[in-house]
Amino acid sequence: MSNIYAITTRSAQYVGLSIAAFVSVFPFIWMLLGATNTSPDIIRGKISPGGALVENVMKFAAQVDLPRVMFNSLFIAGVGAILTLIVASLAGYGFEMFRSRVRERIFGVLLLMLSIPFAALMIPLFIMMANFKLINTYQAVILPTVASIFIIFYFRQATKAFPRELRDAARIDGLKEWQIFLHVYMPVMRSTYAAAMIIAFMASWNNYLWPLIVLQTNDMFTLTLAVAALNAGYTPDFGVIMVGAIVATLPTLIIFFLLQRRFVEGMLGAVK
Amino acid sequence: MSSVKLRAIHKSYGSVEVIKGVDLDIRSKEFVVFVGPSGCGKSTLLRMIAGLEQITSGNLEIGGKRMNDVDPSKRGIAMVFQSYALYPHMTVRENMGFALRFAGVAKDQIARQVSDAARILALEPLLDRLPKELSGGQRQRVAIGRAIVRNPEVFLFDEPLSNLDAELRVHMRIEIARLHKELQTTIVYVTHDQVEAMTLADTIVVLRDGIIEQVGRPLDLYDDPANQFVAGFIGSPRMNFLAATIVEKSGGALTVELQNHKNCRLVLPLTGGAIGDAVIMGVRPEHFGLPGMGNADIALDVDVAEHLGSTSYVYASADGESLVIEREESRQEERSDRITVSVSAEKIYLFDSAGQRLR
Repeated sequence: MSNIYAITTRSAQYVGLSIAAFVSVFPFIWMLLGATNTSPDIIRGKISPGGALVENVMKFAAQVDLPRVMFNSLFIAGVGAILTLIVASLAGYGFEMFRSRVRERIFGVLLLMLSIPFAALMIPLFIMMANFKLINTYQAVILPTVASIFIIFYFRQATKAFPRELRDAARIDGLKEWQIFLHVYMPVMRSTYAAAMIIAFMASWNNYLWPLIVLQTNDMFTLTLAVAALNAGYTPDFGVIMVGAIVATLPTLIIFFLLQRRFVEGMLGAVK
Repeated sequence: MSSVKLRAIHKSYGSVEVIKGVDLDIRSKEFVVFVGPSGCGKSTLLRMIAGLEQITSGNLEIGGKRMNDVDPSKRGIAMVFQSYALYPHMTVRENMGFALRFAGVAKDQIARQVSDAARILALEPLLDRLPKELSGGQRQRVAIGRAIVRNPEVFLFDEPLSNLDAELRVHMRIEIARLHKELQTTIVYVTHDQVEAMTLADTIVVLRDGIIEQVGRPLDLYDDPANQFVAGFIGSPRMNFLAATIVEKSGGALTVELQNHKNCRLVLPLTGGAIGDAVIMGVRPEHFGLPGMGNADIALDVDVAEHLGSTSYVYASADGESLVIEREESRQEERSDRITVSVSAEKIYLFDSAGQRLR
C-alpha cells in the first residue's frame, strides 16, 4: 500500500517538475526555432525548424550595427559590473567589519530604499543626469547602477562568513586596512565576487528602461535597445527579432558557464 | 627576548567593563598561561597585548617600551590563533613569508627564514601545499611556523589546540613545550584547558570576570590556592566543596562540623574565622582516604563509578551534596551502593563564605 503511495507521489513530483521545466525552457527553444523561420510562419505558430536562418541573420546584420551596439552593451555592462563590485564589496566589508553605533540604522535605511520602485526614481535621476550634462553618455547609464543596494546586502551577508581571525592575522603581519581588503579579503571571497559579477552584469545587460530614457542616438544604443527597436515598425519581422534575442542572450550565457562553479559557491557563501 | 608589563589595564565596550584593572609582570623567556572560564577576559587581554583591541586605560609595556598605541606589526609579537587563520589562497610557503614580504625583506632572506622555520617544525614536505590540503595538526604547525618566521620578541597563543582531537592535542602540547625550550622566547598562552596550563606554564594566571584571581607556578596554585575559585578551577577532577560551620576555636586551631554529616568534626590548624561562621571545606578527590585512615569518616551513596584502569572516580553524594573521590587501587568496593571515606585535617582547605581562603 505504502509502495503504491510512494510511486504515485514520486510520479506526481516528476510530472510537476516536467511541466515547470517545459515552461522554463519553451521560450528559449521557441527563440531558437523562431530564428530559423520567416515572420509569417512564426505568426502562424510554427514551432519546428525552418530554412530562413541565413536570411534572418543577413537582415539582422543589415538593420543593426552589431559591433557598435555589442560594444556599447559590453562596455556598459562590464564597466558597470566592475564598478558595482568595487563599491558594493567595499561597502559590504565596511558594514560587517567595523563596529559603529549607527551602522545598523544606516544599513536599515539602505534596505528600505530597495522598496522604492525605479519608476519613482526615474524622473529625479533624469533631471540629475541632465544637470550633470550626462544625457546620452555611458556615464548616465552606468552611474545609477554602481551603488546597488542588493549587491551591497549580498556582500555584507557573504562577509559574515569571512573569518575575522584572517583580518587579525593580516594586521599582525603588518597590512593596512586597504591591503587586507586587497590581498586577503578579495582573493578569499572570489566566489562571492564571481556570483555578484554575474548578477550585476546580467542586470546591466538586460537593463532596458533606463538606457531607453537616457540614450538618445543610435550610436549609443545598447543591444537590448537595438533588438527592441526591431519591433518598432508597422510589420515587425519576428524571425529577425529572434536572431537579435539569441545574440543578446549569448554573452550572458557564456559568462554564466565560465563562472558557473564560482557562482554556485558564491551563492552558497563558500569561504574555503 | 622581551618582558611584558601590564599596569592597571582596563577594557570597556561602552558601559560594559570586561577587564577591570590587571597588573601583571611577565619576565623575559617566561611561559605564561592565562586560564579561566569562558568570558573571563583572557582572550581580550591577549588581544590587547597583540594590539588587536584598544586598551581603554592602563599601561602596556613590551621590552620596556610603552605599546598602547603602537601598530600590532611593530610590537615585536607574533600570534597563533585557534582557527589557525592561514590565508586559504596561499601555499604554506607564501603564508609563512607573507609578513616578511610586507616588511620589505629581500626574497632570498625570506626564503632562508621560511626554510629555517620549516625545518624546526618538519614542514619542508608541505611547503607548496595549500592550507585546505593539510590536516588540522599540520595547519597548526604552519600557523606556529608563520609566527616563528617573524622572529618575534613575544609569542601569543590564543587557544591554539582547541580545534584538535585529543591525541593530536597531546602531541602539539609537547611540540610547543619543545619549541619554547629551543627558541627561548617569552610566550603568553591562553587556554581554558587546565591540563595545558599545568603542563606548559612556568606561571599560570587565573582570571575571572576580568580580574586576576591568582598568579603563580602551576603546583603552587594547586597546593596553595588563594580562594575557592582557584581551588575549584585548578585540578581535575575539581576540588570537592562541603558546607561546614566553625563550632570551636582555641589555641591556634578551629573545629569545624560538616553540615550534612553532623557526626563529622575536624580540628584544623587554622586561626581565621569565628565561631558560628558558615565556611566551605575543600577536599581534592585524591585526598580522600580509606575508612579509619584519616581524622574523620564520611559515609556516602555511590551514584556512578568510572573505572579507568589504574584509577577509579567514584561520584557519590549525601543530602544533595555531590563529591568525586579518586581511588587508585580498589576496583570492587565502588561497585557497592555505599562508600565510607576518610578525610585528613592536613589535606583540607577552608574558605569563608566569600570564597577567600582561611589560613
